Order: sequence, then structure tokens, then C-alpha cells
Amino acid sequence: MMISDNPLVLILAGGVGSRLNILVQTRAKPAVPFAGIYRFIDFSLSNVMNSGFTQVGVLTQYKPLSLMRHIGTGEAWDFTGKSRGVKILPPRTGSKDSDWYKGTADAIRQNLDFIQAHPSRELLILSGDHIYKMDFDAMIDYHRRKKADVTIGMMVVPTSEIHQFGAGITDADGRIIEWEEKPKVARTNLASMGIYVFSTEYLMNILAEEREATDFGKHIIPRAIANDNRVYAYPFLGYWRDVGTIQAYWEANMDLIRADTGLTPESWGIRPNLAADGRLADRPPARFLNGCRVSNSMISAGCIIEGEVVNSVLSPGVRIAAGATVRDSIILADCVIEKGSVIDLAILDKRVHVGCNVVVGAGSGKNIPNRKYPKHLYTGITLVGKDSVIPSDTRIGRNCIVAPWRKPADFSGSCLADGETV
Amino acid sequence: MKIKSSTLAIILAGGRVGELNVLTAYRPKSAVPFGGFARVIDFSLSNLMHSGLERVAILSQYRSYSLINHIGIGAAWDMLGRNRGVSILPPFQGASHASWYRGTADAVFQNLDFIEYHTPETVLILSGDHVYNMNYRDIIRYHREKDADLTMACIEVPLSTAHRFGVADIDNEDGELGGRVIQYREKPKRPKFSWASLTVYCFKPKALFEVLAANNQEDDSYEFGRDIIPRMMSDNRKVYGYKFKGYWGYTRTIEEYWQTSMDLLGPDPKIRLEEWGLRTNLDHRGLCDCQPLKVGSNASIQDSLVYNGCTVEGTVEHSIIFPGVQVKKGATVKDSVLFFNNTVETGASINRVVSDVNVRFGAGAQVGAKEEGPEPEITVVGWNNTIPDGAIIGGDCTIYPNLKPAKLIREIKSGEIIR
Repeated sequence: MMISDNPLVLILAGGVGSRLNILVQTRAKPAVPFAGIYRFIDFSLSNVMNSGFTQVGVLTQYKPLSLMRHIGTGEAWDFTGKSRGVKILPPRTGSKDSDWYKGTADAIRQNLDFIQAHPSRELLILSGDHIYKMDFDAMIDYHRRKKADVTIGMMVVPTSEIHQFGAGITDADGRIIEWEEKPKVARTNLASMGIYVFSTEYLMNILAEEREATDFGKHIIPRAIANDNRVYAYPFLGYWRDVGTIQAYWEANMDLIRADTGLTPESWGIRPNLAADGRLADRPPARFLNGCRVSNSMISAGCIIEGEVVNSVLSPGVRIAAGATVRDSIILADCVIEKGSVIDLAILDKRVHVGCNVVVGAGSGKNIPNRKYPKHLYTGITLVGKDSVIPSDTRIGRNCIVAPWRKPADFSGSCLADGETV
Repeated sequence: MKIKSSTLAIILAGGRVGELNVLTAYRPKSAVPFGGFARVIDFSLSNLMHSGLERVAILSQYRSYSLINHIGIGAAWDMLGRNRGVSILPPFQGASHASWYRGTADAVFQNLDFIEYHTPETVLILSGDHVYNMNYRDIIRYHREKDADLTMACIEVPLSTAHRFGVADIDNEDGELGGRVIQYREKPKRPKFSWASLTVYCFKPKALFEVLAANNQEDDSYEFGRDIIPRMMSDNRKVYGYKFKGYWGYTRTIEEYWQTSMDLLGPDPKIRLEEWGLRTNLDHRGLCDCQPLKVGSNASIQDSLVYNGCTVEGTVEHSIIFPGVQVKKGATVKDSVLFFNNTVETGASINRVVSDVNVRFGAGAQVGAKEEGPEPEITVVGWNNTIPDGAIIGGDCTIYPNLKPAKLIREIKSGEIIR
């Protein structure tokens, strides 16, 4: 078979992403809605499309249904055609290697047949849950110019944050000479973005030799540096965010409406797939009624606004009744906020119905973390799960969680204290 | 068992209307943008889809590129499948004849082979330039119950405006539902009855074929309203009127287009986009790639429709805004319809304007009627124009498309036509 000049693209979309809490209770992390009409994975898929690459495998494992529906035939990203395609690669059972994916490298190893069926010079391995714009074609050029075995997309982060990343120390040529996975003490500010280019043959060999290696950052990269010393850092400048936590998810949404953050999906060429989400596609324009007040917000088609919306991001079909206020919040598709209610610093998943005179995000207890998930919610953000119905006159505090599908009977009183969960 | 629809729908989408001049310079009237994201023909197509009629032909002749592009493969209206489809039928050359469509009836007559091929039980003929919500199954059912040769949908209009329509005198055979058409007059000078035809016709194919053939032999005018229906009446065929009670919007003149657009607005709009389930082709003009609307910190949007892909930093009031429009700080847009990719620069003020695609209103420009008189006095701007900074353009003006900058002087008085 002819070896394609384009790299084969593999998108890792299997992680649980549990720190996103109720947002990933029913969906894979790359399928979490973002910026009104997008899902996380739209960013990686669109970047691949805009780089001119044509063959993509999406490695899924955890709750893949909404992700599979979203990707569909791949037509939204121009992946249909004779030489084009996007394939979902779930874990499989077979005569051997029959297991769930044990890590990033293991997931690749279990799909050697897919890699062999699409011969390529390089593999481009991406994560499905990052918000960024990147020209991978330029990265492949760099990889070839440096005659590298591995090239890693890396960017400068504050040294206080380096402990969350793979960190690399480079020489003057951009070669990575030392690697630390999630270092406790910062020795560099150059962080891995989880974007790898491997020479295909090189990765095949190292996966075959290192049978125990399951993770790129922990096993493969340190081994490649130690053994062969042709691992390069590809410097990235620009907007990039890992939206793996509630706080990061909220911040990334707010970056859409803050001035000059550089996060502009449409001008980046990011494409959503409205058709796959059926009901999201067929929406009339957003309707603004007399007396509404909207400022510094992002509003999707199909919304009907009679009340007040400030510093917020609204997905399609959200209705804000007269006298209701939404502030510093993210409201996903088809939520209804009735008269007199206030939503302050909250994330509402799809189809939440908020009755009259409700407060979501009440009081000043922003520093009282959630009791069940203190590491998920500690900055004041309150979460409401999809399809929940919040009865009228309820008062919900800060850092609270209302699980999906809660009915009015599930609320034991009209008050939910800061940090509590329904 | 319903394997195949027994009704073939034909949409008359070929025409260009003189009064909509600037808006139809490069597109047929059925492809004129409407409602902040859609095209006028989407109402007919969506009605067909919701009525379960998915075998559709579109007769198109005038500047059909935009329309063909818009229809695409028909998937937007679910008209793609084994027994579902949209066929665009342009004029063609044959062995024995070659002619443009000489009128609506001629367009259908030239495509009789297409109709016969599909062997429909009923032929539903629609106009592609009306704004309404109708379940065609109701009129088809009535048509078949009555075993009529022709059933036409009619709406009651005031006698004072009836001269602008084809009007029917319908007897009381079925009360509120409809009745036999006793008399029909096309645009009569002194109308005596007030049921105006909506250009929604159900034909029995045999009757349609016979009348079209006779008309083509004996007449040199080929319009349904002017020729075919009067001919059916004088032949004493079974013609029924189906009484339609809902909203009906026309888009034949700039004033009508504007008024119909304004019917989208208000607390209780006459055109209920959300309920009607209007569908459009989101691939056309990349609608599906637009990010949500961005509203700036000092923006104000009142009683308006704004689609994805816009940025509003100024004031928008009682207006319809299509994707890609930018309203900059301190700019004001009032009682207006702005098509795709307009830019309203800082401090510009726009009032009662319908503006086609790719128009830039320069900083501080004042465009449109100053005072709100009894007449709407709409100013219409054709596509690809740049209105200079500080320009003053009055009401009731017409600016032709694609004008050279020298034509667009800084002051244009009310009622002027710039071409």
C-alpha cells in the first residue's frame, strides 16, 4: 500500500475526566458542550481538517454514545470521501490484547491493526479535550526538518502550574534533554500539551520493545529521550487550555467574552456538528424581547431572552423569562429560567428547568467547598445536572451540586446550604 | 401501506419581481433572504416536509444559481432518499422546441413528462415566495373528498385590497372549510368578492394536462391565475376553494417584504418561527460554521431577531439581523433588515433600511427615513456597497448593487434612485 504523505491522526478520547463531575456523568469528556454550540473535540477535529489531514482514528472507551453520534460520518469536518475518513476505535476483545485501554500508549498499541491499515510516515497523536488552534502541518514540517523520532507540542506556562504537566528541558536546538512527568519542583516552564508526532516506525518499535509501557508521558517519552535522544519540543504560542476541571471549563467559557483573550472559534475555523445534534440545528435566530438586558455575553440561535443576561454563555434554545437574571454563568441547551429567578456563577447542563423566584448561587459562601467533591468545587461555582427541575422559591448556595434528573420531590427543603449536594 | 407519496409537489420559483428590484438583481425572489437566517422558499419547503410530501420539483429560470445552491441535495428538508427528493427543473432545449418558460403554466406544461413519470394522484402547485405555515394534507384531503379537478387555497382579504389578487366567490357547500368556486376574477378593477387565491393549487393530473394543452394551443399567455383558472371556470370543471385561516405574508414589493419581516417581531409575533419549525439549508453560506452571537458590554438589543455569527456592540431595535453582521459601538439599527455580512460602523444610524449582503455603512452615516411617517418609506441598499463615512441618505431611496464609490455621494435625498 502507498505510504501517505499525510500523518495518520489518532485522537485520544477515552479518559473519564471525572473532575468535570456531573458534566461527564452521561458523556465522554470530549463530547462536553462548549462555547454555546461546540463540543471539546470539535477543536482537535477542526485543527486536523484545517491542517489538510484526512485520516483520523478516535480512541474511545468511556460513555462514547454521545461522542459517536457527534462525530457521525465526519462530514462536518470534511472527512468523507475516498481517501478520507474518521473511525471510532473502541476497546476490543480478541485472541490476545483483550482488555480495556490501560493508558495512552496502551490504547495506541491495541490499535496497531488500524495503524498498519493506513500506512504513514508519522502518527499525530492528540487529545480530544483541549481548546486551541494549531497548524499541525507546520509541526510535521518541523518534525521532518529536525529528523526527530518524536516531536512534542510544548508551551510556556507559569512555573506554579508546571506540576500538572509533563515538563521538558531543552537545548539550544529545541531537543529535549531531560523530562519530568508532573514535577513537584519546577525546573522549567516548558509544558507538554499532550500533542505528539511520532515517526510511525519508531513508535511501532518502541511499543513492541517496551511491553510494559502504557503511558506516553510516564514511560514512552523518558525512554525515547534516554535511548535515542531525538525528541524535540515544538514551541506553541497562542491560546491553549486543558478544560479538565470545572474551574478551567468555566474560565475557558469566560475567555470567549473577555476582551482580547484570543479565543475566537469561528475565526479559528472551528466547526461544530449541529446536524448530528439534530435539535440544535433547526433553530431560528435568537429572539430579544422588549425590556431585556444583555451585556458581554454569547447567545446562541434559538434563545428567547426577556430578562437579564450578564457575562454568560448560552447554548441554543435557552429561555430567560422577564425578571430573571443570569450572571457569570454557563447555560447549556434548552434550559428554562422562569420569572424572578437569579442564576449566579453556575453551570446548568441541558434542559434544566428553574422555577420562579429561585436563586442558584446564593450568598457569599464561595470559599466553602463542596462536601462530597471538595477538589472539584471550591471557587463558588454551583452545578446543576441535566433534566433537573428546581422547584419555585428554592435557594441554592455556592459550590452546590444538583445531580441530573432531580425532581422537585428530591429537594428536602427550600434551601440548599453552601457545599451541599442533591 | 405508504411506500411512495401519491402527491407530487411543484414549486414555482422562477420569477423575478420588478418591485423587489434591488433584492432580486442576482437571485430569484424565492431565494431572497428572510427571517434572519432563511430564504423565502424555506416556508414552502418546510411546509412540505411537515406535511410528509417529499417528492418535490422546483421550476426555476431567473438567476437560479443562488437557489440551486440553497436547495443543495435537499437533505435540509429531509428530501433525500429512495422515494424522496428535490428536482430542480430549469428550461431546456428539445428536439422540436427550445424556449424559456413563458409563464408559470408554460413552465409546468414543458415538464409534463416529469409529472407523468411520477404518476401522481394529485399535483400540488405552490408559489415559492409566500410566508405562511400550512399543512397541505388538509387541502389534499378536501380536494380528494370533493373529487375536484382543482382545489385552490384562498384567504379572505378586505374588499379594498382584493384588486391586487386573483379572487374567488366560494359558495357555502362546506361552510368554514370551503366550497365550490362560483366565480373567479384575476386582479379585478372593482372586486365583488374577497377570497384571494394563495397560489396553492391541488390539481387532478388529467384535468391539469387537458387544460394546459388547450391553453398552449389557443392562447399566448401562460399564467395559472390569469389563464388556467379562468379556463377551468369557463369549461365548467369542478373547482373548489379551500378556506385558509392562518397568517399569510407577501414579499412582492420592498414595502411588503419589510412589513412581512416586521411580522416576525413583537411580544406575540404573527409569524411564529419557533412553532412553525422553519428549516433552512445550514450549509448554504456556511451558516452552520457561525459561532454564537457576541453581545458587547454596552450593547442594547430590543425586540429583535439576531442569528449566530454576529457581533453587536451598539444598539439594535426592532430589527432582523442575519449572520456575519457587525454593529459597532455607538451605532444604531432600527426597524431594519440587514442581510449577511453587513457592517455598521461606529456612530452610524440606520432606520427603516433593507440592506442586501456585504454592505458597509461608514462611521457616522445616517441612512433611512428620519421621521416615522404614515408610509414606511423603506430605503433599500443593493449588495456589495460601501456607504461613505458621514453620508446622509434619506428615506424611500434605492441604491443599486455594486456601485462604484464615486456614485455614492455623501448626500442622497429621500426618494432618489442611485444606479
